[in-house]
Amino acid sequence: MRPALRIDGLTVRYPARREPALADLSLAIEPGERVGIAGRTSAGKSTLALAAAGLIPRVVRAAVTGTVVVGKTDALHATADALLGRVGIVFASPADQLSGSKPTVREELAFGLENLGVPRAEMDPRIDAVLADLGIAGLADREPASLSGGEQQRVAIASIVTMGPGLLVLDEPTAELDPEGTDAVATLLDGLSAAGTTILCVEHDRAILERCGRNVTLDGGRIVEGTPARPAIGPLAWAAGRGRMGATVTLDRLGFRYPNGIEALRDVSLEVRAGERVAIVGANGSGKTTLAKHLIGLLRPTSGRVLVDGVPTDDRTVQALAQTVGFAFQDPGDQLFERSVEREVGFGPRRLGRTGADVANLIDAALTMTGLPGERATNPYDLDRSVRKLVTLAGVLAMDPALLVLDEPTTGQDPEGVERVGRIVEAMAAAGRTVIAITHDPAFADRWFDRTVVMAAGRTVDRPRPGA
Amino acid sequence: MTRAATGYLVPGRSWLHRRHPLTKLLGVAFVLVAAFLLPPVALIALTVALAAIAVSAGLVRPVLRSLRIPAVLVASIVLVNALFYPGGSDVLVAVGPLAVTREGLTFGVVSAGRLLVVFVALMLLLMTTLADDLLEGLVVHGVSHRIAFVALSAMQLVPRMRDRVDRILAAQSARGLAVDGSTITRARALVPLIGPVVLSALVDVRERTLALEARGFGARWGRTAYRVVPDSGLDRALRIALLAAIALVALTALFGWLR
Amino acid sequence: MDWLTICADGATTPCVAPVQAAYLVGVGVLALLLVVAGRRSRDFATATLSLMAVAIAINIALGSVTALLRLPLYLDSVGTVLVGALAGPWAGALTGLLSDLVWSLLPIPGGAGPTTAFFAPVAAAVGLIAGFWASRGVFGLRSGDDRIGGFLALALGFAAAVVALLVAQATVGVGPAADSDSQVRFAVTGLVIVAIGVVVAWLGRRTIFARVGDDPRMRLYLIGATAISAAAVVFAVIRLLFAPSAYFSTATFVLANDAGDPTIIDLRGLALPDPLGLVVALVVAVAVAALAVAWARRGEHARFFPVWVAGATTGVVAALIAAPIAAGVFGGVTGGGTDLLVALFRTLGLGVFGSVLAQGLTSDPLDKTITFTVVFVILTALPITVRTMFSRGALTVDA
Repeated sequence: MRPALRIDGLTVRYPARREPALADLSLAIEPGERVGIAGRTSAGKSTLALAAAGLIPRVVRAAVTGTVVVGKTDALHATADALLGRVGIVFASPADQLSGSKPTVREELAFGLENLGVPRAEMDPRIDAVLADLGIAGLADREPASLSGGEQQRVAIASIVTMGPGLLVLDEPTAELDPEGTDAVATLLDGLSAAGTTILCVEHDRAILERCGRNVTLDGGRIVEGTPARPAIGPLAWAAGRGRMGATVTLDRLGFRYPNGIEALRDVSLEVRAGERVAIVGANGSGKTTLAKHLIGLLRPTSGRVLVDGVPTDDRTVQALAQTVGFAFQDPGDQLFERSVEREVGFGPRRLGRTGADVANLIDAALTMTGLPGERATNPYDLDRSVRKLVTLAGVLAMDPALLVLDEPTTGQDPEGVERVGRIVEAMAAAGRTVIAITHDPAFADRWFDRTVVMAAGRTVDRPRPGA
Repeated sequence: MTRAATGYLVPGRSWLHRRHPLTKLLGVAFVLVAAFLLPPVALIALTVALAAIAVSAGLVRPVLRSLRIPAVLVASIVLVNALFYPGGSDVLVAVGPLAVTREGLTFGVVSAGRLLVVFVALMLLLMTTLADDLLEGLVVHGVSHRIAFVALSAMQLVPRMRDRVDRILAAQSARGLAVDGSTITRARALVPLIGPVVLSALVDVRERTLALEARGFGARWGRTAYRVVPDSGLDRALRIALLAAIALVALTALFGWLR
Repeated sequence: MDWLTICADGATTPCVAPVQAAYLVGVGVLALLLVVAGRRSRDFATATLSLMAVAIAINIALGSVTALLRLPLYLDSVGTVLVGALAGPWAGALTGLLSDLVWSLLPIPGGAGPTTAFFAPVAAAVGLIAGFWASRGVFGLRSGDDRIGGFLALALGFAAAVVALLVAQATVGVGPAADSDSQVRFAVTGLVIVAIGVVVAWLGRRTIFARVGDDPRMRLYLIGATAISAAAVVFAVIRLLFAPSAYFSTATFVLANDAGDPTIIDLRGLALPDPLGLVVALVVAVAVAALAVAWARRGEHARFFPVWVAGATTGVVAALIAAPIAAGVFGGVTGGGTDLLVALFRTLGLGVFGSVLAQGLTSDPLDKTITFTVVFVILTALPITVRTMFSRGALTVDA
């Protein structure tokens, strides 16, 4: 039987890059197969996905040699029209997948059909079938912009499936989703696979990869056997700002109610000693992020007190607290604006009043800790999404904080990235700093933190380390 | 949840709601032409007509509430012209060194009246029409669907981007960026706040483009439409009548100008 | 049918009918350009359309940043200028147009509501001109780029025009007075001065500045151009206001009050007689030039000169297009804080049209220059990934 996707000797080189993204890669996928593509960041996985979907070199400029054949069609030289309805692709950012121009999910699913020129009378039956098959019929009349990440991602997949492709390519579809959303997407893919759709899925998430029939690992643009051995990241050391003591944190019956009446925190009391590592876990809506925002003064308690180093946060501005607290936000896109990693990382320390050689030292130390010294001159937006997160983390480290607060530091990271974040936590604690992290990864919490605090419905449930 | 794309929409099933968007758009065009090309006395007739439409569509309260939007503008038009009309000599009231002149007051009131009438007509359109329907209605009559797409997706992006601005403010403040203080301090905060908004939006364009291409947006053949905007005999008749009315007004004005 | 006239009935400075006609022609041309833009949009790549949607949202969302920072700026054209720079003038024009239309469809707190749509032609023109300037390289002049000669020539032409102004004031006597004869003379003299500037610039480009791109002293030239232009602007403004036979020398305005006893505001005392006035103007201009040199020498500041030329000219065009709209539709008023400026110009004797035009010419060039500067700074931080998406991305500067 003809393979659904056949790649022979594919080499892809982007303009202005020295190394090819893919080098002489060959791969064949049978109809109905479900293949996972694993590998570290920048191994070429996304490029492979784009090539399989026929977007290189037609939409994404690159120098290409080799062949990519989808069914009977030469994907490298086909026009847009030839591939529509044969192969579809879904990316990582839920909101960017959707057309953004339709008021309901149903019309969103119709978007592809409109572009295909499908007669109006045929549209509703096809849409209804997909809604039922993928289990999202309940979302049909919802507004796409109001859906959760997991729901949006399922709608994105559905809108591609509505166009009827035999081959579905996914590029890190769960990178920006919480565990709930990841589960929902995994289940949906199960259903699609069972119905006979060929699936090519690029992923970091082990849960998704485990459900694939076959996994292929890429490294440096080539297929490799097994997991390539990488030198482990050993223990790190924070080289700047010696002698600074970690901050203590006291939450004294903290309560917070949003202006719309939702009580996000109820009577939370917590003591964190200097130099301690505390992980905060909990489901969506349990109040973890709300609690973390109190530590940098972005939110003020409606009842109770928050004390950092014994001083209530109420009396201090966010900028003043930034001298003590380094807060790493979840979305790097909320902070990055400089033309180079070096300038970006230096922004924080300069705002805090550091100068000259001091700033240079801090930048060096932060870049070393995050493994980025080679990228000093690179524009942060030219780096992969997961590396950008490390850049913003470096920017926070460079502020030499007494208290480091991390908001979901491991989402979207490959295993090596997760290891590095863990080592950073370890190093900062070794330097005497206090570290508090919000995470939904219990393994990460257990391995790198002294204590895990579980939150549910605005309250805390203390959970000591297993075996301690 | 309020939808940005709905804008000013007041949900309902009145006769005005059920009219085709193009009919309503022509109505606004007629009001615009009549208000600006006919003598001011026409404004009274237009106001009465618009009031009648508002009442019959059950939109009196929403229209009255919407008047606070141009309130400052209207006040400005009246005041600036009443007090500072060069060449005004017939003084009505003296206010310190300034004087309200009859010519100025007339001009101000008439200008404000014209603007208000057009505003109310626009509000009646926007309150009874979904942006999606408005744009689809235009596409059916020849506007490029790609332009309509740009407008609609821009509308959905605005609230997202404003939320993003809030988050950026929080994130940059947490890095020590000062947003209060002297003008220089605040001016320095401009690029660190605008930069992430613009740059991350531009970077997103790449993925959005790829996703759109994957859904066939770049295809060259004809596109069909899912959304059907109902048209009716009444609508067609109204449109013809409105076009005729606009032509009549334009000719009358031209005649008078030439005379 | 006075309702059709752009100028106020009974204004002390009566409008010149040809000016009115010129504006109507201009409006027609603009409408035509927009139709062309619409046609060309059929060939826009998906990337361009995505960019346009994002740019429109940026235009609207940035208003909240300036409100937050309580800065008296608009910055509602940043997206439009960006599109002009990355995707060309037609895409820029369409972005501006759709921006104002979308603005009308959305209830933006603090906004003027649906009547914003009337200013769509202004926004479209901004996008068009931004695209033009981007293709002249304002956002990315590198060493070896010959086009810098053009900007240096412009600076020279501007200086020449100011000298011509000085000569005109000494001989013909230049100043807007109340009667329409001197109005026409003012307009003609102005046109001659502008023509002299253009000719000098053109000649300079052909001769002195023809081969300047490779010159390693390019940065020095830019610094010089910045200083000369700054000095010339300041000098011209001072002379236009304070010279004998200039504005203040003829400025006596009558405000009536109810006692029938006219109050006369006499500003003639502000005019400075030559040669004292000339010396004062020169001294101030030289001081400004010195400051400009000191500033332009720091870091990358010299690269801003072309950006400011682009911004200022865009602002002037924007003001020219916005004035008849504001005068005709909005009673000569803007509805914002700038109305105080309009009122001021009214007290100086300008009519409905003149006062809003003067207000526009005062604030728009500044606003647009700042917008262009912000866009320039952002473009320096543009990642390669984005730059390669757009055919004109290569025109933007490499950091």
